[in-house]
Amino acid sequence: MSNEPAYTRRRSDESTASAGTPPDDRLLTVSDLTTVFHTEEGIVNAVDGVDFHLDRGEILGLVGESGAGKSATARSVLRLIDDPGEIVGGRVDFEGTDVRSLSDEGLREFRASNTGMVFQDPTTTLNPTMTVGRQVAEAVQTARGLSRSAAKREAVDLLDRVGIPDAAARANDYPHEFSGGQKQRVIVAIAIASEPDLLVADEPTTALDVTIQAQILELLDDLREDLGMSILFITHDLGVVREICDRVAVMYAGSVVESGPAESLFSDPRHPYTKGLLASINSVDDGTGPADRDRLNVIEGQMPDLTGTTDACKYADRCPGATEECREAHPDLEPVPTDPGRSVACYRHEHVGEMAYEYDHESRSLSWQTDRADGRGDAGDEPVVETEGLVKHFDTSGPIERFLGDPEPVRAVDGIDIEIDAGSTVGLVGESGCGKSTAARALLRLIEPTDGSVTYRETDVTAAGSDELRSLRRDLQIVFQDPQSSLNPRRTVRQIVRRPMDLHGIGSQGDRADRVAELIDAVGLDTSHLERYPHELSGGQQQRVGIARALAVNPEVIVLDEPVSGLDVSVQAQILNLLADLQEELDLVYLLISHDLSVVEHVCDRVAVMYLGQIVEHGPTEAVFDPPYHPYTESLLSAIPGLEQNEERIVLEGNVPDPSNVPSGCRFHPRCPRKIGEVCEREDPTDHAVDGETIGCHLMREEYADEVDWGSVD
Amino acid sequence: MRSAIDAQFARYAARRVGLLVVSLLGVSVVTFGIVNVLPGDVALLILGNRASPERLEALRQSLGLNRPIWIRYLDWLGGVLTGDMGESLRFGDPVARLIVQRLPASAFLAGAAVVIAVTVAIPLGVVAGQARNTWKDFTTSVVAFTGISLPDFFWGLVLILVFAEFFSVLPPSGYVNPAVDPIGGLRHVALPALSLGFALMAHLTRMTRSSLIEELRAGYVRLARSKGVSERDIVYRHALRNAFLPVLTVIGLQIGFLFSGIVIIEQVFAYPGLGRLAFQALLNRDTTLIQGSVLTIATVFMLSNLIVDLLYAVLDPRVQTGGGA
Ligand code: SF4
Ligand code: SF4
Repeated sequence: MSNEPAYTRRRSDESTASAGTPPDDRLLTVSDLTTVFHTEEGIVNAVDGVDFHLDRGEILGLVGESGAGKSATARSVLRLIDDPGEIVGGRVDFEGTDVRSLSDEGLREFRASNTGMVFQDPTTTLNPTMTVGRQVAEAVQTARGLSRSAAKREAVDLLDRVGIPDAAARANDYPHEFSGGQKQRVIVAIAIASEPDLLVADEPTTALDVTIQAQILELLDDLREDLGMSILFITHDLGVVREICDRVAVMYAGSVVESGPAESLFSDPRHPYTKGLLASINSVDDGTGPADRDRLNVIEGQMPDLTGTTDACKYADRCPGATEECREAHPDLEPVPTDPGRSVACYRHEHVGEMAYEYDHESRSLSWQTDRADGRGDAGDEPVVETEGLVKHFDTSGPIERFLGDPEPVRAVDGIDIEIDAGSTVGLVGESGCGKSTAARALLRLIEPTDGSVTYRETDVTAAGSDELRSLRRDLQIVFQDPQSSLNPRRTVRQIVRRPMDLHGIGSQGDRADRVAELIDAVGLDTSHLERYPHELSGGQQQRVGIARALAVNPEVIVLDEPVSGLDVSVQAQILNLLADLQEELDLVYLLISHDLSVVEHVCDRVAVMYLGQIVEHGPTEAVFDPPYHPYTESLLSAIPGLEQNEERIVLEGNVPDPSNVPSGCRFHPRCPRKIGEVCEREDPTDHAVDGETIGCHLMREEYADEVDWGSVD
Repeated sequence: MRSAIDAQFARYAARRVGLLVVSLLGVSVVTFGIVNVLPGDVALLILGNRASPERLEALRQSLGLNRPIWIRYLDWLGGVLTGDMGESLRFGDPVARLIVQRLPASAFLAGAAVVIAVTVAIPLGVVAGQARNTWKDFTTSVVAFTGISLPDFFWGLVLILVFAEFFSVLPPSGYVNPAVDPIGGLRHVALPALSLGFALMAHLTRMTRSSLIEELRAGYVRLARSKGVSERDIVYRHALRNAFLPVLTVIGLQIGFLFSGIVIIEQVFAYPGLGRLAFQALLNRDTTLIQGSVLTIATVFMLSNLIVDLLYAVLDPRVQTGGGA
């Protein structure tokens, strides 16, 4: 791979992407594909009569939220559907071959030589007990029948080609010795071993950090160019689609609801669902912080479950434009008469312009919010929460290592200062492994900090004894990333929400019962949910329960640890709105931990950017993001896929280094695209105040000011 | 890279051996402790109830029974380390010699049981796991279930009845040194090994089956399918090695049961092994012999677990890196 940071994205020739394609350019035609899953609840129609096609050299994005059936569709194309799934109808035509009628051996050969597939989770996709070199060589052998040694040489070439440094040596390593991004590169190497015509990429970047995602997208785009292959790209991320796809098919509840060229589909959605999805993310992207922190536009409700038959448009329950005529049958996907490159499945698509998504702001007050501890309301100018030099090191070595020498601890959090004012939100952003979640836990003393102090309204949290800490827990709460694992599966929603009040002895029995009902209403659920168990709820509903539980003890500060990262876009918007409403009504203070810069930008008053246990830049949101001064912040922003201004992209090389072995000087220097020189390796940058924010980078020093091309930054 | 991994493996092995030594010391303390606080006077046992107090006292003196227990322990331990475990109170022979005489017979029996169990269980488990929910799978499940539900001495009795009494094709009892007479050795070990290995085989079959089914759902199997690897190669080249890891763990755990089985099976087949020796020692309150044989059994047990763990580390590259996962 080149070291050149700038990269401009390419698209295949526009003419091949538009309609009127000559038929001999057609690689894949899928028609009326139907796949069901036999489950205890009945037959799930995961793929319900799907039509799409793919031309040579084209990237088609198959997008939708979880449960839309996009992965099942992709797997059906390669007939990789496992028990209890079954392809029951339709045709998959690959260059005139009907894939569904292939014999077992024919299918094996088809997969070996014509297609390749990249999967979502690179950690479970490679065989843990086989060296990566052998796994790649095996793909070479099945495709081309080379000898073992020739295949091995070829495997090293392939690994080199997908950007594994020192490929010849690394071929002998096992998967667990590679980082997530590198594993995904290995899987790409396997997928392209046969130089296939068709690459199916099933959420290939979802499990990766945004900077690594940018690397993988660039790699796929380059390979498409070099090998002239077509890519069926499955994703839930519209930004990624906008970044890399020529054409898009939007799926909802097992059906394609709209398809067409990416540009026109995004600028002029024809289906109400597409419009709603775009509205939820656009309002995040456009939000420029607290000044105009409006609520997001949201699609209310959730996707219907796919068992049984439908006798209405599947989107009717959530559609702002639904009328009686929509309740008769699900509409077919038909070409748009005025725009032959596009198709839509909606009876009323001509009226889509009039359909608007709105968010009804609801009052979220709680009747007992006034019985808070004294003096909470009047904070004065002092920050409510303040950390000073907060440190958390983990000692991972065993007794023998300790005996042999002084091992380096894992410096998860290495001296951070955070201040949060009353009623405001501070965001802590960074890639996975930067220490942001550890910092949040140390701040709440869910884990004991190694050093530094945390103060909440003049109480020293770090020094609090167990009684004091108990009462502090009422003021300081947390909402976890994964609601499914943080809610006790054997308790009902009522018990979960009530339990913190029981533990802290709040109110009488009767009060607690009343408050549970009020809380559940405040988070947008209703009393019918109270007797359910967590697994009976959707991800969004589970997160609402998590929020209700945190609110039960009437806290002032809530740490939100990636509260929406596991959720679909439309649900994300719902939860973010809820959190904003609650903050306004209850004067809450939020510390938002997130890797998603657009969410942070929308929600936070102030932002702190974290890298390898340290805060490299912090300040008011606009000041930090617009323009980004610190090279790391700049790279993170630039890596966000699909934003218009991203024609010139910085692709960060490599991964976040191991926090038990931090680089000297500036910790970012091995990856920094603007590294000045030796000074960055030698000296730890001090904090510089610039434009009302604080930046830890030598570029901010007078003598290096010339190094910065401010023109490119602004 | 390779040599780094080997060094890692050596470190891992060294740590495990260190742990083994510490555990063995613990076992020696416990064994010695239990035997020596057991009610009953050793001197009385040797000389019988009618012995005069003077003779008893003299014997206690000569056996050193009057000294504090920890000194006697250290004495004993020192002896064990130099290969001297004292003399059997009952037989008068050195305990070490008795054990060395009996150990090979038991090792042969246990080894044969494990070999039978593994060689039958793994292919059976693979067949069942691949042909899930067919008659093959069903038959295997029934056999495995019966094997697990019934105790090993039951199989011992059945086998004796069928093969020794009814068909008279195999000897019902005794032992022949296979180094001297291989055929005779195998004929004598066949029935006890079968009954001993049956439960293990049943366990392993079930484990292999479920573990293979699990692995065949793994992401890497899907990747292998997507690159056009044949189903046969998927099972034998990819899934089986990973499926074998939990099976290996079960083998390690089951070795303990195998040892308790040996004591009973050696009784049933009048097989002159260590288990029978230990059992007799227990009946005779032959304290020195109990100490010696229990310590030996524990050592063999821990050694075999160590071997299983090291084998696991060889098969699963993730183990050696220590802290990693
Ligand atoms: S058919 Fe009706 S309900 Fe369905 S998307 Fe169109 S307007 Fe909405
Ligand atoms: S100090 Fe140097 S290496 Fe670090 S961010 Fe600034 S320019 Fe880059």
